[in-house]
Amino acid sequence: MNQEFYVKNIIRTAAFAGIAALALAACGSAPSTTTPTGSTGSSPSVAAVKYKACMVSDAGGFQDKSFNQSGAEGLDKAKADLGITEVKVESTASTDFTPNIDNLVSQNCDLIIGVGFNLAGAIQTAANANPKINFALVDSAFSDANFKPVTLTNGKPLLFNTQEASFLAGYVAAGMTKTGKVATFGGMQLPSVTIFMDGFADGVAQYNTDNSKSVQVLGWTKATQKGSFTGDFDNQANGQNLAKGFIDQGADIIMPVAGPVGLGAAAAAKAAGNVEIIGVDQDWYLSAPEYKDIILTSVIKEIGQSVYDTVKQGLDGKYTSTPYVGTLANGGIDIAPFHSFDSQVPAALKTKVADLKKAIIDGSLKVTSTSSN
Amino acid sequence: MSIVTAPPQGAAADPSTLRTSPLAPISWRAPIIYGVLALLTFVAFGVLPAGGRFTTFTFSTGTDLFAIAPVRVPSKSAAIALTLIALAVAVLSFVTTRLRRRIGPWLPALFGVVEVAALLTWAVAGKSNPLPVTGLLAGSLFLATPLVFGSLSGLLCERSGIINIAIEGQLLAGAFLAAVVGTLTQNAYVGLIAAPIAGVLVALLLILFSIRYRVDQIIVGVVLNVLVVGVTSYLFSTVMKDNAATWNSPPRLATLSIPILAKIPILGPVLFQQNVLVYLMYVVVAVLQIMLFRSRWGLRMRSVGEHPLAADTVGIKVNRTRIRNTMLGGAVAGLGGAFFTVAAGLAFGKEMTGGKGYIALAAMILGRWSPKGALAAALLFGFSDNLQVVLGIIGTPIPSQIMLMTPYAVTIFAVAGLVGRVRAPASEGIPYVK
Repeated sequence: MNQEFYVKNIIRTAAFAGIAALALAACGSAPSTTTPTGSTGSSPSVAAVKYKACMVSDAGGFQDKSFNQSGAEGLDKAKADLGITEVKVESTASTDFTPNIDNLVSQNCDLIIGVGFNLAGAIQTAANANPKINFALVDSAFSDANFKPVTLTNGKPLLFNTQEASFLAGYVAAGMTKTGKVATFGGMQLPSVTIFMDGFADGVAQYNTDNSKSVQVLGWTKATQKGSFTGDFDNQANGQNLAKGFIDQGADIIMPVAGPVGLGAAAAAKAAGNVEIIGVDQDWYLSAPEYKDIILTSVIKEIGQSVYDTVKQGLDGKYTSTPYVGTLANGGIDIAPFHSFDSQVPAALKTKVADLKKAIIDGSLKVTSTSSN
Repeated sequence: MSIVTAPPQGAAADPSTLRTSPLAPISWRAPIIYGVLALLTFVAFGVLPAGGRFTTFTFSTGTDLFAIAPVRVPSKSAAIALTLIALAVAVLSFVTTRLRRRIGPWLPALFGVVEVAALLTWAVAGKSNPLPVTGLLAGSLFLATPLVFGSLSGLLCERSGIINIAIEGQLLAGAFLAAVVGTLTQNAYVGLIAAPIAGVLVALLLILFSIRYRVDQIIVGVVLNVLVVGVTSYLFSTVMKDNAATWNSPPRLATLSIPILAKIPILGPVLFQQNVLVYLMYVVVAVLQIMLFRSRWGLRMRSVGEHPLAADTVGIKVNRTRIRNTMLGGAVAGLGGAFFTVAAGLAFGKEMTGGKGYIALAAMILGRWSPKGALAAALLFGFSDNLQVVLGIIGTPIPSQIMLMTPYAVTIFAVAGLVGRVRAPASEGIPYVK
């Protein structure tokens, strides 16, 4: 009898341990292929061309109001303008990456684009195994087992010097805070996330130096590369709770670098009343209109444009594996307009930000990040 | 498929069996754990750190009846004092164990509180930002809310003999339907009412497969979770995404301050400035605690979970009881799902419950299948989760990846170390066939 009891407990424990893994694996077995109607043809306005560009999302999916969505929009634009064929495959977990890419390889894609740092390994492996297919990877370069950078002949990294734009956002935040405290947090501690936070912290530091102020940055210390992270890009309640914590500490401007989890922070800011949010990746004033009253500005990464350009190069037979690096200078990254805050931002601050932007573009001001490329 | 008739070994610790074997060996586990922990923290937080630094705790929020001034203490001496109290508790535990006396739950509670206070004093030492105690506790309750509902759902089902692994799916379905209905009606309360319905629908599937077709309940539960993830993600990507204004912008449940109580410092902002879902949680925990152990309904439910054959013999309809309880459990979990959307004021997002249903299962076990215990366990998990957040904000020397592990480390430590042997309802997971 007792033995039966023990066995039951063991089964129970094992089941417990297996559940999370099973749930993930089971999600992975059914990748949802987003092939909207007409995706195999072309839009009526442009002539169809025989070029198949394919895309794999990160676990966030193509509706994340963040980098996956930006990437998908770039591909959609290429389909509409250039008449190419597109195939978009969503991943729901990191176990989906390799099967999804293999699936696209077998569909004879001409170009396969992986969206996000997390796909680096899977894309690199696939690029090495399929030398005749061109690959591109958003947000990460390729590296070997010892983390030394490597160049692939058929793998193009699409990189962004995001710190330049988030530097400007940090400067604006420091100039606009009423409490003297601003905050930033990430979803996971990845280079493509912390690069935002580095620039933000530097922007605040620059403002402090210029104006002999002491605006404090909560959630990130550039020197030690330590700060606040919610742990994933799914659970918005965590972002909401973390943002509440920042607000408790007196922060009144928050930049969440956590994809959809950032929307949780926006909800907390809205509830608090006098807290503003700086959006990332897209202009949140446009992409998250329910929060447009509290979006001070956004750090825009033109992932869509870089995808579009890569597809166009491939179509024209000009694909190279030379990395694309988005900068303020080439418009690959930018800071969004202030929209509803336009009248509240002092003219002097606007001028200063414009000057800084010029200085970064002409190279007289260097904004660095250990995560930059 | 035999029914357990002999009392399981766990009962050896019962006082009733102690009387028959007075020389049962003394369990030294608790005093040893207390002693080692107290010594470790005494050295790590008290002796080793440099002196001369101060720790500030703040307690008040703007709405309090009277303000408690921030407390600023010298970190080193405060940590030493606190860990000395912990050592004293360990000694007390040693003595009482030796005398074979049982002490109430206040001892582990006191030990936990002084140890956590010592940890906080050490972690915040020398920081310019104070530690907001009220915010720390309020955030803990916030994060614990879905866990409480989830673990209550689990225990309602398991007490009657059905293993409910589908809590995660029920939470997610509740979150989804609350968002949709709340948006369509533009009324958060209607969304709140809709949430349990979604939970019940998932529970009905669980009932269909586990009672009607006697499929392994753990497997059905896991599959149901995946099913709900798939269905809600599909609807999210297709319908909700394009028409967010029509389908997915739920209003937020209003915060209702309870007069007078809400103005009590610390307790007021934490407990009595909440939305209706949190007040419902208090009610559900209290009602279930009484009903489960003090009512005919509760007795029948427990008998069905422990010994269905005996229950059947005295005329209790076993499967009907199980069906009703599983539906009720689904409703409770679905209600908890409303936390993620209408209560938090968030739009629905794919897989937004983020595994809380599984942590709720752990809370149920840690709470030993009682509502009171489930509440305490959920609060413990909520606290450890939020502690990690608050320390991250103030700035700690610990890397973020390690910090993010804390809630799970606490879960493992609590389930394995503190609970030790638990006894699940004897007949859970076994379909009843006449």
